Amino acid sequence: MFKSMLKFSTIIGATILPLSAVHAGGHATTYGPFPVTLQNYSGDKGNSVSYSGQIARHVLHDSLKILAGRGDGGSNSATLKAEMLAYFLGSDKNKAILAPLTKDDFVIMQGTLNEISSDKNIEGKFYNGAMLAWPGSMKGREVAMHMIDRASVASKGFDGDNGYDWAQLISKFTMGAMAYSQAVDNYLDEKLEADTKPNNKPYKDGTAYTGKEHVWDEGFGYFGAAAHTLALTADQAFGIAKRKDMASADANGDGLVDLKSEMVFGPAYYAAAFDRSGSKSTSYLNTIMQSYVDGRMLISSANGAVLTDAQRSSLKAHAAVIESNWEKVLAEAVFKYAGSAYKDISKMQADGADVAKVYRGYVKHWGELKGFSMALQSGRNNLGETAGTMNDLILFGPVTLDNSYVTGITPSGDFKRDKRMTWNDYQLQLLQVQQLMVDKFSVSSRVNDQLADLGALAEKLGAQSNAETD
Amino acid sequence: MEITEIFNSFLSDFIDPKKRIFMGYLFLSLAIAYLWLVVIRKNSLRSAHFQIFNRKVFFSKSAQVDYKIFFINRAFSLFISPLLITQIAIATVIYYTLHRQNIFHSGQFSGINQALVITLFSMAMFAVDDFTKYFVHRWMHNWSLLWAFHKVHHSAETMTPITVYRVHPAEGILFGLRSAVSQGIVLSIFIFLFGNAVDLYTIVGVNILVFFFHMTGSNLRHSHINIRYWKWLEYIFISPAQHQLHHSIAEEHYDKNFGAALAVWDWLFGSLHLSESDQEITYGLTQDPTAPKSLSDMYFGPFGDTLNIVAKYLTRSKKNLFSSSTEKPFEARFWPRN
Repeated sequence: MFKSMLKFSTIIGATILPLSAVHAGGHATTYGPFPVTLQNYSGDKGNSVSYSGQIARHVLHDSLKILAGRGDGGSNSATLKAEMLAYFLGSDKNKAILAPLTKDDFVIMQGTLNEISSDKNIEGKFYNGAMLAWPGSMKGREVAMHMIDRASVASKGFDGDNGYDWAQLISKFTMGAMAYSQAVDNYLDEKLEADTKPNNKPYKDGTAYTGKEHVWDEGFGYFGAAAHTLALTADQAFGIAKRKDMASADANGDGLVDLKSEMVFGPAYYAAAFDRSGSKSTSYLNTIMQSYVDGRMLISSANGAVLTDAQRSSLKAHAAVIESNWEKVLAEAVFKYAGSAYKDISKMQADGADVAKVYRGYVKHWGELKGFSMALQSGRNNLGETAGTMNDLILFGPVTLDNSYVTGITPSGDFKRDKRMTWNDYQLQLLQVQQLMVDKFSVSSRVNDQLADLGALAEKLGAQSNAETD
Repeated sequence: MEITEIFNSFLSDFIDPKKRIFMGYLFLSLAIAYLWLVVIRKNSLRSAHFQIFNRKVFFSKSAQVDYKIFFINRAFSLFISPLLITQIAIATVIYYTLHRQNIFHSGQFSGINQALVITLFSMAMFAVDDFTKYFVHRWMHNWSLLWAFHKVHHSAETMTPITVYRVHPAEGILFGLRSAVSQGIVLSIFIFLFGNAVDLYTIVGVNILVFFFHMTGSNLRHSHINIRYWKWLEYIFISPAQHQLHHSIAEEHYDKNFGAALAVWDWLFGSLHLSESDQEITYGLTQDPTAPKSLSDMYFGPFGDTLNIVAKYLTRSKKNLFSSSTEKPFEARFWPRN
């Protein structure tokens, strides 16, 4: 009796849930719920969507960023480092969520990681190829560990001598080395092949979702978008990530923000941020989200059968749109923060400038620039010469107050700064970074465009091709 | 491109305040001409009317050629303009290069009063533009290779406001490049030193100083209305009569008054000639046997002249190679009128 009731509820669920996700016209407006299509499934689940592990990793990342700014200059380094590692390497304890936390009316449902997903870590999903952007010829995970180590001995995550802001460096690098890398170089890449995680079998024994359904869901989870993103403007998505727009976040109206489906995390936040600023001509967030939803609809439509080659190639086309737009978002971020650092240098040299204060902002912006440039190098694409040029222009560390900059790591593990560069020269390199992003990635939002003033004035002067002679 | 688009582009200069033949400026020039003839020269209104709308000027053969060239050149520029380097491309290169010096830093003067920055920028843009016009114009007269092209403009025997378009397309390209370079230089230096405070004072979208130049009858430079200024003012601004004198066939007027708006460049570099009372000027190149006579001469003649000049140069070089000639060096011969 009980079993038959379960079956009945499954049938009802399988009928109603897709309707809630799909418009009359057959287009889903939210990422899930999607029906269980797995053949011969006997469980009681009515929804095959699952990406809570990825949400847990976004939360681990956000929490790690908070910890990276909590150093007191050395005395708490051992405990702080252990705490940071608990979030980076994972912990058998149910760790508290340090970010995002409830703010004013923006009440967050979960308070601990296990309420989202247990036994997750960042390190296991961290890019581990060579990371030549960082001194010391290390691999991705070694670089992350090196940064965590330095953050634990710094004061509030700030290393003024070498020009490092550890919270920014760790956070922005992780946004690429974990989220972007896992999505574009794993789930939306080799796991879409026919011989991996087929659609006619469960992802793992006992799961309600097929191999391909879950592969796609995990790829989506790393993007960090709210399930109802298609119904949001870039401004609203931005407001959710900033914990300022409860009305937009609370899709089901229960008065709580469910991190598993209603929150906007790093990668999606930056896509929204560039759509709503700069030239306002981009739609990264919507384009990426639509591709994720369309891809998931396509898998659902196979109804638990093996995907045909045509279906997989269509799926790969969606994956390609996601990858190219996500890559552009990272390049937009490099563009933006190169512009910020440029402006900070001008401000530092202004008469009567509060140099220490502006320098702190400069180091923060540089950390974002560097972190995003490393994120860009953690994807599937080998950027080749572009990566080399970008690293040469940005340097291992920013030009610091005595005009020296980090050139490498000594055998004892300290940073060495044995070269100097003038502010003007470094500003020129930052301009060249912006140009590189335009040339190689066709960025078009272009926040903090340092050549925008030239362009606007040139426009005002007008074309002079018919200049009058006499 | 649609036919109507092409047709519109022919007439667009008449409704573009950035262009000298904008209808508003033409109308003001007309008003100034009446004022000059009636109030200053004490002509009757009727006499002024006949002098201004002189059929012998506006329907002369020379003027008819001007009108044809106006249309032909517009078609040329439609295809050529997109290929020319822009001021923004030049400005970007210079802006980058400015970071390679260490005397000034980016935004060095960004804190100063914005009104002052805008005034300085508007003035610098006007002055540098005018200065480069002076020099390029002077070169066009002094270098035989450039003169081959510029004489198309000087072959006009009557002058109307449309004569400003009587130029060989190659000269149009040269002048467009000059404009791009001068704007690119001023733009980049100002943005580098003053940051985003830089702007232009404009009226109807035009630099206020350029607007003033056009408002005060720039169209009368190419006309038969010889408006003179006070002597002292002709050291600062080129009067219509001074520019008309530049078009004179009289030998004493050769290579004078190259300036566009400002006379100070001519004054500084020794080419200023003040206007003359009751000057009777014959325009054109009637004494020059190589002057272009037909429309095809205007367009193709300069290339033939160029070939001749190069051929002569090569022959001369060959001779010099085998003989110890005491002739003037080649450069000296590039000054045909001196």
